[in-house]
Amino acid sequence: MSTEFVGKSVKRVDGVKKVTGSLKYVDDLKMSKMYYTAIKRSPYPHAKILSINLEKAKELKGVKDIITGDLFTKRGGLYLQDKNFLAVGKVRYRGEAVVAVAAITEEIAHKAVSLIEVEYEEMPAVTNAVEGMKPGAPLVHPDLGEYKVAPVFFPVPGTNISNHYRLRKGNVDEAFEKADHVVENKFYIPHIQHTPIENHVAIAQAEIDGTIQIWASCQSPFAVRQAISHDFDIPMNKVRVMSPAVGGGFGSKGGTTLEGILVPLAQRNPGHPIKLTYSREDEFQNAYVRQGLHATIKTGIMNDGNIIAVQNEFIWDGGAYNEYGVNIAKAAGYASSGPYDIENVWTDSYCVYTNHPVGGPYRGFGMGEMHFGIEQNMDILAEKVGISPVEIRRINGMRPGGVTGTGEVVEVAGLQECLEIVAERLKVEEKEAPSAPHKLRGKGIASGWKAPSMPNTAASSAIIKLNEDGTAHLMVSAQDIGQGSDTIMTQIAAEVLSISPDKITIRTGDTDHTPYEWQTVASRITYSAGRATYEAAMDAKNQLIELAQIKLGVYGRDLELKDGFIVAKYHPEKRVSIASLAIGLVFDDGSAVHGPIIGRGAFIPPNIRDADKETGLGDHPVAFWTYGVQGVDLEVDTRTGKVDILRVISCFDVGKVMNPQLLEGQVEGAIMQSLGTALFEELMLKDGKVLNPSFVDYKIPTSEDMPEMEIYFVENPEETGPFGARGVAEPAMVPAAPATANAIFDATGIRMYTMPMTAERIYEALKQKGVSK
Amino acid sequence: MENFVYYKPQTLKECVSLLEEHPDAALLNGGTDLIIQMREGLRIPTDIIDIKNIPDLQGIKVGPDEIFIGGAVTMSQVYDHPELSKLFPYLCDAARSVGSIQIRNRATIAGNLVNASPLADTATPLLCLEAVIHTYGPNGTREIPLNEFFVFVRKTLLEPNEVVTGISFKPDALDKAVFTKLSRRNEVDLSTVCCSVGRKGGEYRIAFGSVAPTPLRLLDVEAYLKDKELTDDVRREAAEIARGTVSPISDVRASKEYRLDMVANILEDALAILQKEG
Repeated sequence: MSTEFVGKSVKRVDGVKKVTGSLKYVDDLKMSKMYYTAIKRSPYPHAKILSINLEKAKELKGVKDIITGDLFTKRGGLYLQDKNFLAVGKVRYRGEAVVAVAAITEEIAHKAVSLIEVEYEEMPAVTNAVEGMKPGAPLVHPDLGEYKVAPVFFPVPGTNISNHYRLRKGNVDEAFEKADHVVENKFYIPHIQHTPIENHVAIAQAEIDGTIQIWASCQSPFAVRQAISHDFDIPMNKVRVMSPAVGGGFGSKGGTTLEGILVPLAQRNPGHPIKLTYSREDEFQNAYVRQGLHATIKTGIMNDGNIIAVQNEFIWDGGAYNEYGVNIAKAAGYASSGPYDIENVWTDSYCVYTNHPVGGPYRGFGMGEMHFGIEQNMDILAEKVGISPVEIRRINGMRPGGVTGTGEVVEVAGLQECLEIVAERLKVEEKEAPSAPHKLRGKGIASGWKAPSMPNTAASSAIIKLNEDGTAHLMVSAQDIGQGSDTIMTQIAAEVLSISPDKITIRTGDTDHTPYEWQTVASRITYSAGRATYEAAMDAKNQLIELAQIKLGVYGRDLELKDGFIVAKYHPEKRVSIASLAIGLVFDDGSAVHGPIIGRGAFIPPNIRDADKETGLGDHPVAFWTYGVQGVDLEVDTRTGKVDILRVISCFDVGKVMNPQLLEGQVEGAIMQSLGTALFEELMLKDGKVLNPSFVDYKIPTSEDMPEMEIYFVENPEETGPFGARGVAEPAMVPAAPATANAIFDATGIRMYTMPMTAERIYEALKQKGVSK
Repeated sequence: MENFVYYKPQTLKECVSLLEEHPDAALLNGGTDLIIQMREGLRIPTDIIDIKNIPDLQGIKVGPDEIFIGGAVTMSQVYDHPELSKLFPYLCDAARSVGSIQIRNRATIAGNLVNASPLADTATPLLCLEAVIHTYGPNGTREIPLNEFFVFVRKTLLEPNEVVTGISFKPDALDKAVFTKLSRRNEVDLSTVCCSVGRKGGEYRIAFGSVAPTPLRLLDVEAYLKDKELTDDVRREAAEIARGTVSPISDVRASKEYRLDMVANILEDALAILQKEG
């Protein structure tokens, strides 16, 4: 199908505002009578709150209100209701919010916080998820059995296990008996932080009638509304959540974060907007973090390279609250075979409470962590049976007609095409010389897959209003968090209506005025909100055609939209402009019919069914799978252990490239984020304390660290997606990290079982091997 | 951050009287260390005295007998200076390795030294150049050799009411030198270990940062290398002596063991460069 706007590098519709700095983010909002909030936080990872003395803080001039957790004890949470916005009775991580102060300036609020005295009784802390699973470990949530939980998650009351996901396909024990080789490897992936450029920030204000208005830098205004409505028993028509702009999220602004701290303050101080802005130190410790993972992977392989069984144990360090993290354990569980067709699969994926910062969604949602093990394991197996890393993926990699770990038969899978492109471009089997005698050069590849990790019912909607001059407004609640969704949605509407993107204004992120969107997460926006936008535009188009056939006397089937007109295909001189029909069709006698054209679009992924509770098996548990391969060419300095990434090749099956320039940028960003996790990033935790809560000692890659990147795509359409598109935002950050590990092995012969692969860790390994001295 | 009174003196004299009047004042030069310390509550000055535009602290003078870098000269002014970058590339390399471009447009060499971080990037080339710190205070001017200036972590010989007016060194202090910085990330990072190695005739000058409470000269290694030909064995032996001379700690950036290995490797490699390039 030839397209005019979809598939073209249409310039970002939000570009000029962002580049010139004229876009107003939440922290830019200044309102009269505003109060500023500061938070008293726990200095202990696990402690009972004995007493809170607010007297001195209350006396400070300019302090307007102070609240503690015992005023609001109802628990909430996205999937598992285990969380209060302010600690109730005890604290479960170092940094947990205990008291919130509202004052006329931020300085006064902070000063007041320093005057609050909290007396604690320290409790033994869980600072390792593996230890935390053992019987007798201190319990982070002794009342887990009483918590409300969505029926697809399996907490184990009386333990720290908030979710035990099980997958049981075939018979792994028999297969291990039969296998020519059985290998078992352990990997550890530490906690990391999202580090969006814009910190978390929110403002809440209560109206006299009880309506709560919230302005938040959030990915999911409707998820915030849902949480606030539930937790504070406010009907949804009295909660309005607006997300005017988001300066990066990467998952950290999914679900609900700090908004709930502000709602009670707003309710107690009606008419006063209450604002809270996180510091960068808050971002590192008190916003969601990516969970740590202890992975054990046992695999059985035949001499011909065929993998016949895999048994996984994933232990996720979910931190103090797992309301969102339980779903990461689930998502990793059902994807635990990796993008491979393996007959026998056994997986236990545990989300475990610890007294660590709170785990939550992070780009990749478990896949980046899990594939670091899976993809190194593939290379280890290849070496074991004497075949190449490419060959083992050719043999076992998913193909159309293949079967996933849950028993789903896959109809579309571009993995093999991606593999061949990357292998060819990287010249993966060709040794190349290093740039200096003390350096070692190596190449590595890794595959990856991901499905949107969302409830079966994650829905989207869109509204298109045509204006009298033939321009249009498009309203969705998909949030442009940097990924470019405003532009993609506009392109889709422009394509269907055949009007240029500059004639469409997109409005997002206002639960009172833009229609329902589950969440801007899970690489689902182009797919799901895009499909809703497509449907809305089709609805508007159908209305136009209905009116045009009356006006033109041409049967609707023979009409098409072209350059702002409805045109008769076989008599192009017969045409009527969109503008003239936007408010309805006017007859020659001056009467009119229909009224304004408003297109409505709604989408819910079709036929996604729950998997079996006992076995995890299911024939259609996810909307789609996205497959891809990345390859890395690098050098290791044997004098320092430093890694220099020379080149990265990437290829993903995206179904349809909606905007080449945006997509390339998104994949390059994903690769850099993946390389950051591979080489630098680790939230260093000691006894529950974050040792590096700042950019001084938590390093992410800079532009200087960018290697040469070649970005390729294949396009096997996703039939339920708009124009065949499927999601790629998260999948694209999955393979580069394990590909780096595989390239380090190729260069040095050392296997890195832990991220990040810092210079020091590599040097240490090189020294033990006798390469460096 | 607490409130403070802001002063902007026009002369050194005025600056020193302000310091005398306000014992809890802080000098603001580039501000790249001070502002962070204030934000973290490590320093709570009642008064801020902004010295960065005092005329006597400006400029770089390249004379036949002396190079003089004014107290308010920034990192980027140093490495953008045509003569300095030609004559002292290793000093410019060190200045260029500090922070980001935005930081380097603000941060000063004098501030880098006065802050007295163990890993001050510009300290090691200046130690090798045997630079002298010039100060002005209530009792007039003083000249303090840089290798005596650092006392301990964040402690120097600077008196409370003194201002650093500049740094000087001899144009022919070194024939050649090499600056090396090892950091986790190549740009915008603190040194895990940093080092300058210089040669003057048959003598060597070696200084390291981030391996002791202050940046320091490795005099034992210098003594060992004096008048020696830099063979593989000599370089290796020098590296071993260096390893025994320094006393790094383990922190979030690196372990003590890694730093010790890096001291040896960096020194050996820097000596190899000197040897190769003559």
